[in-house]
Amino acid sequence: MFFATYLRRELRRRMRQAIFVAVGLAVGIGLVVTVSSASAGVKKSEASALSSLYGVGTDVTVTGPAPGFVPPSSSRQPPKGSTEITGGPNGAEICQNGKCENAAGKTIQKMAPQYLPIKSADVADVARLHDVSAAAGGLLLTESTITFPKNFGQPGGSALPTPSTLSVDGVDIEHLALGPLSSGTITSGHSFTAADSGADVAVVDSGYATGNNLKVGSTITIDKVKFTVIGIVRQSQASSPDDVYIPLAVAQALKAGPSDSAETDEVNMIYVTAASAADIPAVQKEIAKLLPHATVTTAASLASEVTGSVTTVAKLVNDLGKWLAVLVLIAAFAVASLLTMAAVARRVAEFGTLKALGWRTRRIVAQVLGESVAMGIAGAAVGVGLGFAGAAIINKIAPKLSETVPTSSGAFSAQTQTVAGPGGVSHTSGPGASSHLIYVPLHPSITAGVIVLAVVLAVAGGLLAGSFGSWRIARLRPVDALSRVA
Amino acid sequence: MYTLTGVTKLYQKGRRTVPAVRDLDLVISGGEWLAVQGRTGHGKSTLLNLLGGLDRPTQGTIELDGTNLGALRETQLTALRAHKIGFIFQTFNLIPTLSAAENVEAALIPLGTGHADRQAQIAAALDSVGLSDRAAHLPTELSGGQQQRVAIARALVKEPNVLLADEPTGNLDEDTRDDIIALLERLWRERGLTLVLVTHDSAIARRAQRVGVMSKGRLTIGQDSRPGPRPDSHSLTTTYDPAT
Repeated sequence: MFFATYLRRELRRRMRQAIFVAVGLAVGIGLVVTVSSASAGVKKSEASALSSLYGVGTDVTVTGPAPGFVPPSSSRQPPKGSTEITGGPNGAEICQNGKCENAAGKTIQKMAPQYLPIKSADVADVARLHDVSAAAGGLLLTESTITFPKNFGQPGGSALPTPSTLSVDGVDIEHLALGPLSSGTITSGHSFTAADSGADVAVVDSGYATGNNLKVGSTITIDKVKFTVIGIVRQSQASSPDDVYIPLAVAQALKAGPSDSAETDEVNMIYVTAASAADIPAVQKEIAKLLPHATVTTAASLASEVTGSVTTVAKLVNDLGKWLAVLVLIAAFAVASLLTMAAVARRVAEFGTLKALGWRTRRIVAQVLGESVAMGIAGAAVGVGLGFAGAAIINKIAPKLSETVPTSSGAFSAQTQTVAGPGGVSHTSGPGASSHLIYVPLHPSITAGVIVLAVVLAVAGGLLAGSFGSWRIARLRPVDALSRVA
Repeated sequence: MYTLTGVTKLYQKGRRTVPAVRDLDLVISGGEWLAVQGRTGHGKSTLLNLLGGLDRPTQGTIELDGTNLGALRETQLTALRAHKIGFIFQTFNLIPTLSAAENVEAALIPLGTGHADRQAQIAAALDSVGLSDRAAHLPTELSGGQQQRVAIARALVKEPNVLLADEPTGNLDEDTRDDIIALLERLWRERGLTLVLVTHDSAIARRAQRVGVMSKGRLTIGQDSRPGPRPDSHSLTTTYDPAT
């Protein structure tokens, strides 16, 4: 009681100084809280984006090789499987599968896998690996549609138009906890059931559904097959989700086409869950050994390939932000220490009197430390408030960050080659590798840990500031202190 | 109570060594009132500091009830002051942020007394100096005389054996000075304290049982030793003159 009364009265006596010290500590602590919350927010955004790319429960993703670029052929007939577009005095021509036709005004639709195939037997082999607890196959397809203008390929005519694409994801219904649907939330209708394994049903991404006015019960056409929408799924905002999800068996049938029944059991993705987080690197190695031509990624390896403003901001926050907060805190501690020492110097006679009354040095030191810690705690309270305000401001004004993730694209990619040949200009397009941009919202978050850190910093700052004054008190001889009064 | 044998206190001032107290022998009996006079800088306050354990002699011994103060550790001296010795200073030395009652309470904190007992002792102490109605006042709200009364209450609240007063009326006007000395005299008589009072005022000194004069660090005790204070003491205006 006496301790608290003496402390309170003394701080009131030097109110301005106490406020100055508390504000200094508050600014430092506020910066630490803001930077920590921004750092936590960036990490959360990164993790959210990566987990969306990955799916909840997926530790390792295996993809088949990206389809290779097919160079333009020297003869009039292009190789099987590629599409060649040429333009000349006779107008635009499309050549595919060895046949050429006039393309002017025509719409071409093509379904193609995003990656080269992986056999279903490989999925089973991966599932049997020692540290693997589950594995499921997936088939990523892209339906590309392109409409050629009538004057395409003629001198002064229109350029090759950009195709519209529909991304279709064939999902293993028996392993819905793995893969792309595992991180989504069904907002309307329902997800797949075991009975849907061979049915022409689809779950549609909420963004795609809104853009195309689709709801549960609507019909969409994929590669000339009509599908009934049974559910709408909302994926994480940070991901770039596929447009439509269909049962894997149905996707395999679409990809194979009516003429190629030998390819109906192929996938081009494998989603793998490891037995534990510690096993992930070992699982990655084992799969790479089993499937040497496939690409095996984990969240960690994908994270290292991610570029974009989110990584820049992460660096800024972690490097510049943290160092700035540390420097401001050091300055605040230094000012608090100097002011406390000055206050002790002014109170030397008072402390000498207390020693004459029989106060032990440690009791006087406790009083001074108590005053410093009280200022520190006041600074922490204001600092946490400033930190919340800083986080709220970042939340309000921070633009969406972007992440560029390397992927491969569909049938018609941006990678084209223009060659000049007899009869005019020739364009050849083929599937190739590119990257896609995803937008990541930044939501700074203040955790209990950050608040505890703020309090610890405050107490530490108060103790540090008080310790310099306390050292002076400990060395004080009462007779010297009392002689200051005379 | 006190036995001082060959006590010397030297201070270093740059290259010079200054003897504040030289080869002092003194016995102060329990319950005695000793006044120490002398000019400024002749060792009066140093003697008081030595008696209070605030300083240690360079040579010689100071015994309080048989305990050699020079042999005690700092924490032991602090405990001794907390229990047995009360101080009164010329400038009152009240804690400016604490009220009169809280200043008195500050002397009881080292004793670890319970809250209820402390409050009772504080009330009694302030009552004994006639300041019960000023308990909640801060030092800045009290006159000089009232502040010194609070300081006296603070010194006596723990019921010490010894009261050391260093020029207790030095900062007070004439009338207030008389009131304070009268108060000290009454309390000395009532409680059987051993009172050592430093003053440069002869009138105040003459009220004591014995008067000593410090001159260049040496103490000369007056030839007359009175068994008690003069019953007809009046306020006097003369100050100490070393020529007389």
